[in-house]
Amino acid sequence: MMVPMARDLAIDLGTANTLVYMKGRGIVLNEPSVIALNRQTGEVLATGREAWQMIGRTPGYIVAVRPLRGGAITDFEITERMIRLLLQRVGVSRFTRPKVVICVPSAITEVERRAVTDAARRAGAADANLIEQPMAAAIGADLPIDEPVGNMVIDIGGGTSETAVISLGGIVALEAVRVGSFDIDAAIQNYVRREHGIAIGERTAEEIKVAIGSADPTPDENQAEVRGRDLMTGLPKTVILTPEEVRYAIEDVVSSIVASVIRCLSKAPPELSQDFLVRGMYLVGGGGLLRGLAERIERETEVPVKMSNVPLEAVVLGAGHVIEHYEALKGMFMGARR
Amino acid sequence: MIPALVVIVVLVVLVALFAVAYAGRNRRQPDDIDSFRRQIDALSPEARRETSDRMKPSDGASNGDDGANGT
Repeated sequence: MMVPMARDLAIDLGTANTLVYMKGRGIVLNEPSVIALNRQTGEVLATGREAWQMIGRTPGYIVAVRPLRGGAITDFEITERMIRLLLQRVGVSRFTRPKVVICVPSAITEVERRAVTDAARRAGAADANLIEQPMAAAIGADLPIDEPVGNMVIDIGGGTSETAVISLGGIVALEAVRVGSFDIDAAIQNYVRREHGIAIGERTAEEIKVAIGSADPTPDENQAEVRGRDLMTGLPKTVILTPEEVRYAIEDVVSSIVASVIRCLSKAPPELSQDFLVRGMYLVGGGGLLRGLAERIERETEVPVKMSNVPLEAVVLGAGHVIEHYEALKGMFMGARR
Repeated sequence: MIPALVVIVVLVVLVALFAVAYAGRNRRQPDDIDSFRRQIDALSPEARRETSDRMKPSDGASNGDDGANGT
C-alpha cells in the first residue's frame, strides 16, 4: 500500500469523534475517539470505529476507552497514542511532520491546552496550534463572520456545549458549559436504572436517544423497547420507554444547554443583538441533532434557530480553512490575540 | 576631553536607537492593518468556497456516521 505524503492537517479532537482535514484534500478521517487496549500489556488493539464497537462488550483483559471527557484529555498517554495512530493513518511519519491546527473547547484551561499541543507534537506534528471550536464552527458553517454583523453559533458536542457571538473574525461573547450529548446518554442510563430497575450500556442509551429522544414534543413519536439486565434478578429484561419519559430524563441537561445560550445572548452588545432576530442562531455539532432542540431553544429565546448544513463537519471544515490560509489566519489561534 | 567625547557618543547612540525604535513602531501600524485585512479577506465567502467544496470525503476516508453522534 502506498502511504501518501503528509500535508498540514486540521483536527477536530472531539470527545465523541475525531475528524481530520488534510490541506488540499478535504476530510480524510472521521472516526469515534475511542481506543481499545490490552489491560495487561498496554498494547493498542484497535482505534476508531473498531474500538467503538467494543465498548461494553470486551472481555476482562481488554478495555475500550474514550481518552477525552468534557473536551479535555483525561489520559494524556492514551490520547497521545490515539493521535499518533490516527496521524499514521493519514500518512504522517517521522519523516513527514505536518503543521497541525487542533480545535478545542474555548473553556479549557492553560494546562489542558498544553496537554493537547504536547500530545500532538509527540505524536508527530511539527507544530501544533489551537483554535476555539465555536470559531472553527462558524467558519465551517459559512457564517459571514468577515462582516461587522452579529453571528451566533451554538456548538453542542459530546462533552461540551458552547455558544459564541462572532463579528469581524473575532469572538465578541462566549458561554461554555461542560455538558453535551454524552450527558444526555448518561441521564437516560440513570433514569432507566432508577425507574425501571435495569442496567443498560452507554451505546444502548445513545440508541434510545437517537430513536426516541427529544428536547421538545415532536410529531410522530414512538415508544421504544429497551433491553438490559434486571438489577434484582440479574436476568435479561425488556421494558418499554416512552418519549415523555426520555424528555423527563434529559430535562436537566437540556435546560443547562438552553440556559447557557440565554446567558450568551445576554452578554452580546445591543448592536449585534438585533442582528440575531433577523439572521437567527446556527446550531452545529452532533448534540444539535437531538430532535426538538432547535425548537426548544427558539421557544425559550424567541430568536430563530437554524441547523447548519454540515452539523457534524462544520468544526473541522472551519479548522481546515484555517490550515488552507495558514499565514493569513494564524492570528486566530488561541493565545495569538492576547 | 575624553569624558565629553564618551558622553557625546553615548548620546548619539541613544538618539540612533530611539530613531530606529520609533521608525519600527511606525512601520508596524500598517502591518497590523494589512494582517487584519488579510484575515478578513481569507474569511470571505469566496475564500471559503474552495474549502466547502472539499466537503466530500476522499476515497480513503473513513466515515464515522455509525459512531457516536456527538462531536
